[in-house]
Formats: sequence, C-alpha cells, structure tokens
Amino acid sequence: MTPLAGRGVGIGWRPEIAGFVAQLPGLRFVEVVAESVPHRGHGEPHPALAELAGAGVAVVPHGVKLSLGGAEPVDPHRVEHLAHCARVLRAPLVSEHIAYVRAGGLEAGHLLPVPRSRAAVAAIAANVARTTAELDVPLALEPIAALFDWPDDELTEAQFLTEVLDRTDALLLLDIANVYANARNRGTDPLALLAELPLDRVAYVHVAGGSERGGHYHDTHTDPVPVEVLELLRELCDRTRPPALLLERDGDYPPAAALRADLDAISHASGYPVIT
Amino acid sequence: MTAEGWRDELARRQEELVRALVGGGALPGGFNPRDVGATRDALLRKRAGEVARVWPRLATSVGPGRWAAEFGAWAAGRPPQGSLRDGWDYARAHPPTGAAVLELAERELLWSYDSSSAPRPRRGLGLRRVDGVFLVRFRGRIHRWSR
Repeated sequence: MTPLAGRGVGIGWRPEIAGFVAQLPGLRFVEVVAESVPHRGHGEPHPALAELAGAGVAVVPHGVKLSLGGAEPVDPHRVEHLAHCARVLRAPLVSEHIAYVRAGGLEAGHLLPVPRSRAAVAAIAANVARTTAELDVPLALEPIAALFDWPDDELTEAQFLTEVLDRTDALLLLDIANVYANARNRGTDPLALLAELPLDRVAYVHVAGGSERGGHYHDTHTDPVPVEVLELLRELCDRTRPPALLLERDGDYPPAAALRADLDAISHASGYPVIT
Repeated sequence: MTAEGWRDELARRQEELVRALVGGGALPGGFNPRDVGATRDALLRKRAGEVARVWPRLATSVGPGRWAAEFGAWAAGRPPQGSLRDGWDYARAHPPTGAAVLELAERELLWSYDSSSAPRPRRGLGLRRVDGVFLVRFRGRIHRWSR
C-alpha cells in the first residue's frame, strides 16, 4: 500500500504558519523542507513538528538541494541528512526533485531542469540509487516547473518521467501546478501529459499558487491557487484518486482565512474531507 | 561515446548553463534567450528575498519596495554565496545607513569574515561603539548599551 494512502489534504509546514497548521482540526499530513531540519547533533526538529508527528500526523521531509539531476554524484552528507530527517520525524516517505541545483561548484539557488536525454536519465538513476541506499523509507520524485527547455531533448516529458520512474523504483510526487505552469508556458496540453504519465505511481500531489509576469506563468508559491490549477486538479482526480494532496505556500503568508480557502478548494476538487 | 563520456558532457553543459544563469557567463547555444533570461531574473528575485530575511534592516534601508531591484542589480553575474555572505558583500559594497549600520556592525562583531570564505565565529569578549551604542560580544551573543 502506498505510504500516504487516504491521508487526504495536507499543507507544507513552515515556521511562519506553525500556529495556523497546529490548529487545523482534520490535518493528517504535512511536509517539511528537509534542509530546514537541524542536522544530527545540531538540535531537534521544531517542537511544533515533533508534536504533529507525535499526534499521528505524517511528516514528509521534502528535499530541495540534493541535486538528483546533476551529472555529479549527490553529496553523501546531504543524503545522510535526508535519511536523518526521515528517522527523527518517523516519516513514511521522503521526496526530492527531478532537477539539479548546482554544477562545477556554482549554486543556482533554485531547481533547474535537466535535459530530457538518456544521459540525464542515467545520471538521475545513479543519484537516486545512491540516495535510496541510505533511506529506510520510499522516495518520491517531483518533476519541476521550468521556464525553459534544453535545446536538444531526445524524449517527451512523459517518456522522460516514465523512464526515470522505471529505472529507479521511485514513487511520483506530481505537482499539478507545475504541470499547469509548464503546459501554459510551452503552449502544450496538460491533459495530454496526464494521459501519458504512470498515475498509479503517484505518492501524493502538490498544489500551489502562481502568477503571470512578463509573459511567463511563474509557480511562485506566494499567490492564491488559481482557478485554472484547481480545474486541472479536478481533471486529475477524475482520472485517479491521489493518496494525498498538499498545499505549498512559501512566503507572503496571507491571513488564515485565505489559507483555509485554498485548502478547502483542494478538498472540494479532490473529494477528500475538509480539514479546516 | 562511453557512459562516462556522456556524463562528463552533461556535467559540462550543466555547469555552462548555471554559469550563464548566476555567474555572468554567456548563454549556451540553442537555448531560448527570453526564457533563460526570465529564469535568471526569477533566481535574482528569489535570492533577494532570501537575503532580506537574513538582513532585514539592510533590505529596508534602501527604501520601500527598492530591495529586489537594488540587490538584483548588484548580484547579477555574482554567483550566490549563501544569504549571510551575499548580504554582507552587498553591505560592504554599499555602506549602509540608518538601522542597517547596527545590523552590519553586530555581524562584524560576531563573525570574522574575509569576503572570500565562510564567516567564522569570533571568540572571547568583543566591544564596538556604533552611533552612540556600545555593542558587546560575550559568549557568542551581542549585548547592547546606549547612553
């Protein structure tokens, strides 16, 4: 059975909204940015997180700086930290991105797309193997939103993602806002991608807000979830029942009523119980 | 090409692209300049926001709504060194005014930073006087006295 089966709607835990999250009556699932959890020997996770975990809420460490898509091998210390997060938070799984964040000693500061090539699939598979060797729980991989593509992609996005999942045994963390953003920016059909992805591998779904800027749709995580993303989420839930869905908000935190509205909208779109 | 050959080629191209995005490098051939440019600008905005969280008084000292543009103009082409160092380097290049003077002075008193490697905590007792405020470093913390 998939690790988050029936956990329903959750929210990305951030210290700025810890009070709001702690008071959600129906909450059974949160995510925490793995890099924000203290390293082993340097302190304990935030007490509010420990309290949630103790109350039976699933806490999923979500890494953002492992650089699984880098041609360079992943840093063993970062892998060890991800495994440490899973242990101290008693996580049922961990997640990371199909992306790279550094190369040749330069930090990009955010998730960058990899070419959709067989060489990149091989690099990711090798890095995922290095990572899962240290993990006691399953790993879910998240395809990212990107404003550009590499010039000489050999595979379609669906072929590329399917190949990565086939080569790694990983689960899929499907970010529906990323699917929307990429399709809108590329001028492609998001439903065509959903039709080709192995939806039976979905561990959970990310939902987030974004906004238009300079002709591109940016997946900002600082805006309300647009109606178009909720519409696409509804289409996804017509095709499969995701085990769980998570709202990501990463700044410009709005009043509690606005966060509740986004969470309720995800419940309505997915058919899971309202948690607010 | 061998598997190692493909991997080296991927590593080279990934580095070339990161350099174009954050290190002032040329755009590699074949990429859409407008799309990569939008990514470069988005990276700068994100970085400015992260530095503002670590250097809140420095960020407000440049004027309301000005930080992302001011910091972005300076940071473009300078590879990120982490928010602590990025804000520090910016502050040294643009000596701050107002409350940001104290913010920088406190950091200078707590850490030794040579502008080229990670700041290291200073040990022992330290004292500095800034704008009529005495700053004392004791056991790794700053204590303030003003007359």
